[in-house]
Amino acid sequence: MAERKLRILIVDDASLVRHYYRQILEAKCFEVEEAMNGLEALEKLLVNAPDMLIVDVNMPQMDGITFLRTLRRQALPQSSIPALVISTEAGAQDIAAARAGGANFYLVKPLGWDVLTQYAAMFCGLPA
Amino acid sequence: MPLIKNTFHRPASSSPDPAAALTSVSPDERWAAARAAGDDPVNLAALAQVLARESDTRVREAIFTALARIATPESALAVLPYLRSDDANIRTGALDALRAMPEAVKAHLSQALADADADVRLLACDLIRNIRDEDAPRWLCEFLEIEHVANVCAAAVDVLAEIGDVQALPTLWRCAARFPNDPFLAFAIKVAADRLRANAPGSRV
Amino acid sequence: MFTEARRYFVERRVTDRIAETGATSFMNYFARLRSDLDGEVEKFINAFTVNETYFYREDYQLTCLTSDLLNERTRMKRPGEALRIWSIPCSTGEEPYSIAIWLLENWPQVDAHDVEIIGSDIDTNVLKEARTGIFGKRALMRLTPKLIDKYFVGAEPGRWQILDDLRQSVRFTAVNIVERSETRPLGAFDVIFCRNMLIYFDDSSRRVAAENLYENLSPGGYLCLGHTESMSRISPLFEVCRFPDAIVYRRPLEISHG
Ligand SMILES: C[S@@+](CC[C@H](N)C(=O)[O-])C[C@H]1O[C@@H](n2cnc3c(N)ncnc32)[C@H](O)[C@@H]1O
Repeated sequence: MAERKLRILIVDDASLVRHYYRQILEAKCFEVEEAMNGLEALEKLLVNAPDMLIVDVNMPQMDGITFLRTLRRQALPQSSIPALVISTEAGAQDIAAARAGGANFYLVKPLGWDVLTQYAAMFCGLPA
Repeated sequence: MPLIKNTFHRPASSSPDPAAALTSVSPDERWAAARAAGDDPVNLAALAQVLARESDTRVREAIFTALARIATPESALAVLPYLRSDDANIRTGALDALRAMPEAVKAHLSQALADADADVRLLACDLIRNIRDEDAPRWLCEFLEIEHVANVCAAAVDVLAEIGDVQALPTLWRCAARFPNDPFLAFAIKVAADRLRANAPGSRV
Repeated sequence: MFTEARRYFVERRVTDRIAETGATSFMNYFARLRSDLDGEVEKFINAFTVNETYFYREDYQLTCLTSDLLNERTRMKRPGEALRIWSIPCSTGEEPYSIAIWLLENWPQVDAHDVEIIGSDIDTNVLKEARTGIFGKRALMRLTPKLIDKYFVGAEPGRWQILDDLRQSVRFTAVNIVERSETRPLGAFDVIFCRNMLIYFDDSSRRVAAENLYENLSPGGYLCLGHTESMSRISPLFEVCRFPDAIVYRRPLEISHG
């Protein structure tokens, strides 16, 4: 009952996208944190490790794929946090690079409410 | 006291010819050359040329910075093609460089917004965020009226929410009507409209 | 040109100058500025380079310096090689002097290493004050009376001067952080404090400043920014490191080329 809420870090440079995911996830009782790009995500991860990452591809300073590659390479407990990449980039190159970089799933925008919560539940090991 | 006294001095080192060193085999030398090349617009062509084959990310960053410092429509033009790169890291580098030269980007904006590639149009929207021009919201609105890819519209709406005003509202409503089945776009437009109304002069102190 | 924060900052400074000069309106002030009445141009520029600062500001970073950063750096040094610390911008000197005092007070190994501290700023007026080293109550508000007694002498009522020995331990030089010809001659540092300056820069200047800072760090050297600042908005050149007391940035260690 008194369990800790599962926390999701949203990494996307578009404020409305972050806002959208936040609404959806908070409605399902997830705790949400936001980062504007891969570098900020690395900083936030180190301070407070989430249970799951939702990551965009194109972002300033550090893109989502470089972010995942950097994270997975490090010898940290945070390095294996599951990651869902959600991008407008539907190119085969990006999908392959994201997979190689350590994305667990890759979804192409746009997506509806139910898709996001289904994945979040699955990643965090909850019944959908 | 172990702290070193302040009489200490270090000799200045001299810098080599940048254009030649841009093709050195040593990444450190290429990095230094790229940095020095940004001092003088005559190096634009040399920088643009080495950008195409530079594989070291750090050196590529320095080339992007040098081009951003030159900040002419020509240097922006040298960076723009990299928005199409297959490599997300290169797209990001190019986008950041373009963000750092908003005035130079202006000259190419209408062309980028009319690009056949939706990904390029999407990134072009984001470039408008940094352009401080009173007409910028109007460009976005005109663009939004004709853009037919929902994801690209969403990117334009995100920027409009930040730099636009209530005059953009009719465009936003029309856009929402054109994509009735995109839940994110509907959400984004509603939030953007709320923000624009909240920022309207009448609702301030 | 300006973000909201910067616009607010600019507005406030301009309003201050208008009040100070007794100008009756913005237009009236603008006319004074144009004709450089009573040297207003320089006063105007100085008003924009804010330099309010104080001793032991953001001291969690100083804690991090002595509990982790310096120990990491000394492990990589040859015996006898000096540790080099740079404070840019140093404004009127509170920051580099704080570093010196903090090391003497809190770093047990201070006697075993040579430490060089350099303070730099673009504004030669503040550097002059930094060299003189006379401070008022406000600047010293975070120091205990014991520390003030130990490292300062009373100069005039309500003002204290830092001890000569400490004054000679910090070298002050004029440097514009975006001018590579000015930053490069200073050489490589182990730790750089660059706090509360980059927030005022535009994107292009930030990039140049970040690259200069990178060049002025030894591989593995650390960069400390102000607590509201983050490299994540500026440049991907650095790694982020988490220590118990602070988040700092590091120039990656790399295999030397050639
Ligand atoms: C708010 S103070 C920061 C002082 C101290 N680091 C701190 O955090 O308390 C900002 C300083 O930045 C200096 N400054 C502004 N632009 C600069 C530049 N391009 N290069 C070096 N210093 C600069 C100003 O002269 C001013 O003294």
